[in-house]
Amino acid sequence: MFGPLGLSLAPYVKSSRTLSKWVTPLAKWYANAMGYRKYGFKYDDLITEENDEMQRAINRLTPRERYDRAFRFKRASQASVLHAPLPKEEWTKESEDVRYLEPHIQSVMQEVKERRDWDTLVVERRK
Amino acid sequence: MLAARASTARNAQRLARSFATVVDTTGVKVAAVDYNQPTASVTVLVKAGSRFEPKNGVAHALKNFAFKSTGSRSAIGTVRESELYGGVLYSALGREHLALTAEFLKEDAPYFVDVLTSFVTSAKFTRHEYEEYVAPHVSAETEAATRDPAIFAVDAAHSLAFRSGLGSSLFAPAHNDLTVDDVKSYASSVFTKGNVAVIGTGIDQSTLTALVEKAFAKVAETSAVSAPSSKYFGGETRVAGHGGPQTVFVGFGTAGSPSAEHAALAAHLSTTPSVKWSKGLSPLSSLPEETSVRPVYLPYSDASLFGLLVQGSTPSKVKEAGQAAVAALKAASKSIKAEELKTAVAKAKFAAASSVDTREGLVRTLGSKIFSSTDASLAATLSSLDAVDASAFSKATAALLSAKPTYVAVGDAKLPYADELGL
Repeated sequence: MFGPLGLSLAPYVKSSRTLSKWVTPLAKWYANAMGYRKYGFKYDDLITEENDEMQRAINRLTPRERYDRAFRFKRASQASVLHAPLPKEEWTKESEDVRYLEPHIQSVMQEVKERRDWDTLVVERRK
Repeated sequence: MLAARASTARNAQRLARSFATVVDTTGVKVAAVDYNQPTASVTVLVKAGSRFEPKNGVAHALKNFAFKSTGSRSAIGTVRESELYGGVLYSALGREHLALTAEFLKEDAPYFVDVLTSFVTSAKFTRHEYEEYVAPHVSAETEAATRDPAIFAVDAAHSLAFRSGLGSSLFAPAHNDLTVDDVKSYASSVFTKGNVAVIGTGIDQSTLTALVEKAFAKVAETSAVSAPSSKYFGGETRVAGHGGPQTVFVGFGTAGSPSAEHAALAAHLSTTPSVKWSKGLSPLSSLPEETSVRPVYLPYSDASLFGLLVQGSTPSKVKEAGQAAVAALKAASKSIKAEELKTAVAKAKFAAASSVDTREGLVRTLGSKIFSSTDASLAATLSSLDAVDASAFSKATAALLSAKPTYVAVGDAKLPYADELGL
């Protein structure tokens, strides 16, 4: 129902100024505590990619973005082999941790939804 | 009685304006022909053919971008909604024009005019659509074109004959570095008011004008694109074929607007018989077995290419047929019998008149004239053909032959060279 992105309360939180003021520091702390930045990942690298929608979204990245993504995966798996996080200067900075894939997933999901809507359309005779 | 008389009056009126008049609507030229056909069609004609493209293949990519997502609806929305209305959408590219056409039932005109015009006014040109849908189609069409020696030969002949401008290929190169940004910038330069004409068939002029006016209300008023006027060069090239018959194209081009003499010459040499199962009376009707010679006459706005497309199963047969074709062309440039000319002119007139019967032919005939605001009526074409006489015919043919020939051989290495055909 939600596609590869899953359920998110972020839009609701962002829409309320008070709520986002309280939740943002918590969210920042949580993102750091998850530990993926220590392995040089960005948040969008963690989304399960073994489905058609994600494959289409990944194909919409620019060649440079696709190369960088593959590089982060290789570097992280090497770090995993060594049983140690990357050296600190290679950790992902908060400013670098952008949602580079999310817009593409959104557009793919919108297309999937539109296709489903057209497929299940009921045509009524013009009055 | 009164009713009958009224309908005759209406019929007379309809006959009187049976050919389209071009109306300038807020900068966009609109022409419509309504013979009371059961279905209607609208063609948006844009001066965006391959002669105007800044980079090889951009026009071809733009053609394949037609009916993808726009500000009004997505690509799948366009397809599914058109299916619900039962219409047909297609785009075609020429060296001069890009034509976007919709055929539909008469009452659905507002929807289909919106589909066509929204591509001109608000196409999105997204990168993923280019990579997922457009680029594969472009390369498939290029591949298909290289497999057809006739298309390939005529395309190569254009680049020899006119070099840049009209010489640029209709097809994108097989390995190109086109990006969606190239297409986008080309589209923004050609999708302007002065560059667009709308031709309707089976639709009332005032209905179409109102729809077009509404659609183009917000488009910027800019002048039409211009390309440097064409010059004829000529030359010789030989290309290895990818299967298909052995093909030779012998062409001659002229700069300047197309003339009726060349149309008559094409009709004179045409091997299509008027009666089924006969060989016809063309000077080329007795060719060796398994060969064919087709006259190719391609008029453009400021130049024309006349040629003979010789095809055969083996190089030696092509050589024989090619020699016969060139000899016939040379004979026509010396003199032509009065009755032969009469036949040729009649044939050319019939071809011109009958092409207007079909929807595609009508759009082609109107499209060549709508931008230059010359007399778009069929009568003008027919009377210019009537004016062709024997001496003018031979003179025009001799002038054509005096230029350097354009010679293209596609196929075996043993295919004849230009001098072996007597050029």
